[in-house]
Amino acid sequence: MQATKLRLNLAVYLIFIACILLAPMFLEEFALNRLAKFLVFGMLGVAIALSWGYAGILNLGQGLFFGLGAYMLGMSLKLASPTSMAQGSDTPVPDFMLWNAEPGSKTDLCCINGGSWLWIPFQSHWFGILMGMALPTLVAFGLGTVVFRKRIAGVFVSVITLACVLLVRLLIVDAQPLTNGWNGLTDLGVLTIGETEFDPYSATTYYLVAISLSVTLILGRLLTETRSGMILQAIRDDYNRARYLGFEVSSFQVFFFCASALIAGYAGMLYVIVAEFASPSFMELSFSITMVVWAAVGGRGSLIGACIGALLINVIETSVSETPALVEAWKVIIGLIFVLVVLFMPQGIAGLASSVTDRALERFSGRAARLRQADSQHQPAE
Amino acid sequence: MSMTRRTMLSVSAASLAAPYFFTRSAQAAGPIKVGVLFSLTGGLSIIEKSLRDATMMAIAEVNAAGGVGGRQIEAIVEDGASDPKTYNEKASKLVIRDKCVTVFGSYTSASRKAVLPVFEKRKNLYVYPTFYEGFECSKNVIYTNAVPNQQLSNFIPWISKTLGKKKFFIVGSNYVYPREMAKVSKILIQQQGGEYVADEYLELGDSEWGSMVNKIKNSGCDAVISNVVGDSIVAFYREFKNQGLSQDKIPICASVTSEIEIAAMGPEYAAGSYSSFPYLMAIDTDANKSFIERYRKFVNDPKAVTHSPLQSAYMGVFLWKQACEKAGELEPLAIRDAFKGQEMDAPIGRVKIDGENLHTYLTPRIAQWGADGQGKIVDEYKEPLRPLPYAAYGETADNLFCKESGLDSSKLKL
Amino acid sequence: MVDTLFIGLSVGSVLLLVALGLAITYGAMGVINMAHGEMVMLGAYTTVMTSTWLGLGIWWSLPIAFVVTALVGLLIERLIIRRLYGRLLDTLLATWGVAILIQQMIRLEFGLSFFGIHIQGLGPGLQNMSIPDVLAGTINIFGAEFNKYRVFMILVCALMTGVTWFIMYKTSVGMQVRAIIRNARMAAACGIDVKRVNALTFAFGSGLAGVAGVLMAGFKTVFPDMSTPMVVDGFLVVVVGGIGSLIGSILAAGLLGQVNALVAWGHNDVIARAVVFAVVILTIVLKPNGLFAYKRR
Repeated sequence: MQATKLRLNLAVYLIFIACILLAPMFLEEFALNRLAKFLVFGMLGVAIALSWGYAGILNLGQGLFFGLGAYMLGMSLKLASPTSMAQGSDTPVPDFMLWNAEPGSKTDLCCINGGSWLWIPFQSHWFGILMGMALPTLVAFGLGTVVFRKRIAGVFVSVITLACVLLVRLLIVDAQPLTNGWNGLTDLGVLTIGETEFDPYSATTYYLVAISLSVTLILGRLLTETRSGMILQAIRDDYNRARYLGFEVSSFQVFFFCASALIAGYAGMLYVIVAEFASPSFMELSFSITMVVWAAVGGRGSLIGACIGALLINVIETSVSETPALVEAWKVIIGLIFVLVVLFMPQGIAGLASSVTDRALERFSGRAARLRQADSQHQPAE
Repeated sequence: MSMTRRTMLSVSAASLAAPYFFTRSAQAAGPIKVGVLFSLTGGLSIIEKSLRDATMMAIAEVNAAGGVGGRQIEAIVEDGASDPKTYNEKASKLVIRDKCVTVFGSYTSASRKAVLPVFEKRKNLYVYPTFYEGFECSKNVIYTNAVPNQQLSNFIPWISKTLGKKKFFIVGSNYVYPREMAKVSKILIQQQGGEYVADEYLELGDSEWGSMVNKIKNSGCDAVISNVVGDSIVAFYREFKNQGLSQDKIPICASVTSEIEIAAMGPEYAAGSYSSFPYLMAIDTDANKSFIERYRKFVNDPKAVTHSPLQSAYMGVFLWKQACEKAGELEPLAIRDAFKGQEMDAPIGRVKIDGENLHTYLTPRIAQWGADGQGKIVDEYKEPLRPLPYAAYGETADNLFCKESGLDSSKLKL
Repeated sequence: MVDTLFIGLSVGSVLLLVALGLAITYGAMGVINMAHGEMVMLGAYTTVMTSTWLGLGIWWSLPIAFVVTALVGLLIERLIIRRLYGRLLDTLLATWGVAILIQQMIRLEFGLSFFGIHIQGLGPGLQNMSIPDVLAGTINIFGAEFNKYRVFMILVCALMTGVTWFIMYKTSVGMQVRAIIRNARMAAACGIDVKRVNALTFAFGSGLAGVAGVLMAGFKTVFPDMSTPMVVDGFLVVVVGGIGSLIGSILAAGLLGQVNALVAWGHNDVIARAVVFAVVILTIVLKPNGLFAYKRR
């Protein structure tokens, strides 16, 4: 029965991946772009499920990693925009640096304002992409090492991550000469790798997102099946038992915390490609909590569940908010869904699906058993 | 009135010849679709809902008067949810899926910046009703409210000359607009031979003013320039009075404090302070009185206040109607071109769209708030002033940076 | 310097007012109430409504808001919280949903705005609550000028803290609450009606938030999401102070308030907020259970 379930689970993954890969055949460009954005959110759901469902770390600051990834690639794309190119200097200069420039300084990335030299390497898209993955992972590594070595757990981790995301958001808004503050990075160029242009509305970009998500799902699923994934779940279920068994508990936690951050950072980069801007609003508390709710709705214990949860909530949100009669009331409906799901579906959609299949399998195998029994009863009579 | 239906299809790359003719004949008599994109939920809905109402009222009035060239306007309302992500998403829905020919929307610069790529790459048109920091030269946006030179260029000289103030404390919310306003203010203060004693910021949405007002108290300034935004304004004025500062001795001279915040803080706190806006509820003309009355009826609230972006949101629809009729077609960029030089008599008085930078000629006005919550216009520019979005960087009416052809960045002086 | 310390004290007392209710519900019930801020907001709206419709001033609003928000709290406890005991993080998510709901209900005037009915005092806009002349302006204490309203807030905060302390340590209900904080199952085994006590605790915590809301109304401005940042601050105070510890919350609020005021005085307000967050992170890292951990058994 366990094997049947695993096969079913695998089937769900395959069907889901097939669906998102085939979607461009049926959707026009706008729907495709919108779906790409939702898939990025789905990826965030996977990141949350990995740290919350498997490691028991409820990160209320996942937006930090998403935002850092977004800003890193955003910086690269900002330098590639036509406006930045046309400032009459040797290096491209973002327009907002001009209005934050120190009086009389030279229009050049090196020295237009204090710290602008940090942007210089971002002229290479590869550097931006690399940083978009490296920075979130490094930050998660530093934070995770401190927090998990100290054996901080549960709600305290949530509070630290929450304080971190608010702190970084504050600093980004404050460092206006470097980050354009509240308005974020807008007017971006199009990401070009080799000959391929990733126009946000193109099928190419959609495939980039869909394939990234598929790979993330598969790798994530494999990761949880590995030995370290198993140990991690043991840690989640009983921290002290795992420690007494001799496992270096904190390194497993740090590793999965980093993996989750890497996925979120990568998702942030994809979001910049499909939405064409990066903004401090990515690091608002409400966005980070919303991500957690997606995972809760989909099922925190399942990667694909959390992913589908994110997609579902976003589809509901857009369709309700775009119904003219509900344009002001849609948040009431979303709020209600949150409450009802937490109350009545504690394990989310994935949990529901799992218990339904359990019951179906039980009934099925029960019937099979009864049939066998009936058969065996029949035979002597013959 | 002959209006072709090119518009509906010019943006849709996938359309084939057959649907083209079908669409053309089916749409010929149909309504004109426009988008209305403001936050109806979240923190910004405080103000943006009123902008939505003003836009809808203008559309209703145009429709009642026979529409645009005989065709009705169909407004598709979307909620930006006070979040740039949602703004971006809804803007592309309005432009690409709904094929709106123009979208009216946004209050903050952050949301405008988030939707701009959609309008620029899809060659569509956005009409933006809020005063903002300038430094933008988009060819896909019509800016119907003030830029810093239209709010400050007579404000600071007036404070300095008429009130005799010399030492200024500049305070604002921590983002682009207040910082740019501070920059322009400093230039003007120096021209007047005054000085600024501090230039301080508070996080947007923060309303703990204790420390800041204490600093103002100890700074020895004789006037405060406030570029504080949003609900923080109310807490600021209250704290100001409660720490024993008086508007008579140290007046707050504000660029954002409008009728909305005055009504919300309790008029006694603002009595004696000043605000600079092109539009004020106190403008004493029949056109304005009738406008206020109609707006109150429209929203079914006899105490509703009007304010500068609200008036611009209203006026924008009428200017757009004129532009559409002049263009004779509904292609967004043709409408944009027809906007150039468009003039009308709005509740605010005579306005005109600048042919070069697509901003609006507006008359700067200064009001002093009374104890009854009403502003009294104490100074008024003699004629509508030309918008100069790059004034902080040396732009003058004779030396424009933002022209019809685009921004000439070689002229920017740092 | 006295000015700065005074401002720090008043900032701390605002924090404490919001945190007090959270500290009790979190400590006793293991509930992270993200809708706590909305209770503050409801308290503020109660003030606006009583003054516009009944013509009552801030003195009357204090008890009325306490009762109104306590009742709303009781309702939320009955409908939602009761089903979630022992699921700490789920309470966070469910109450987040409740917070969205309450905010939007106020904005939509409980749905009446769909029928074109407008109620003065509700809706998405900013609301006005005037404060009596007695509380406006400054008061001279030992030669220094103090903002009267802030003095009033500090006093009310001290009073509410005193009342809370009295209930917790001098009444039998308080003893039951403390027993539940220490060990809920043992308390139940001793014959304490945990459900009833929890419901009362939650209602009392909500009522405290309502009182905080009345004070906020005269200090900041009243609008549907006025309290979103407050709940985060309150939450930080509770965690830094140590869960379940009243004295911890008081000291943490005082500490964060003074840090905020001192840094804002020396540098600027934005840095001050950043420093507050940094202090919170450091405290948890150095003392993972907060300044005053309450031992559970």
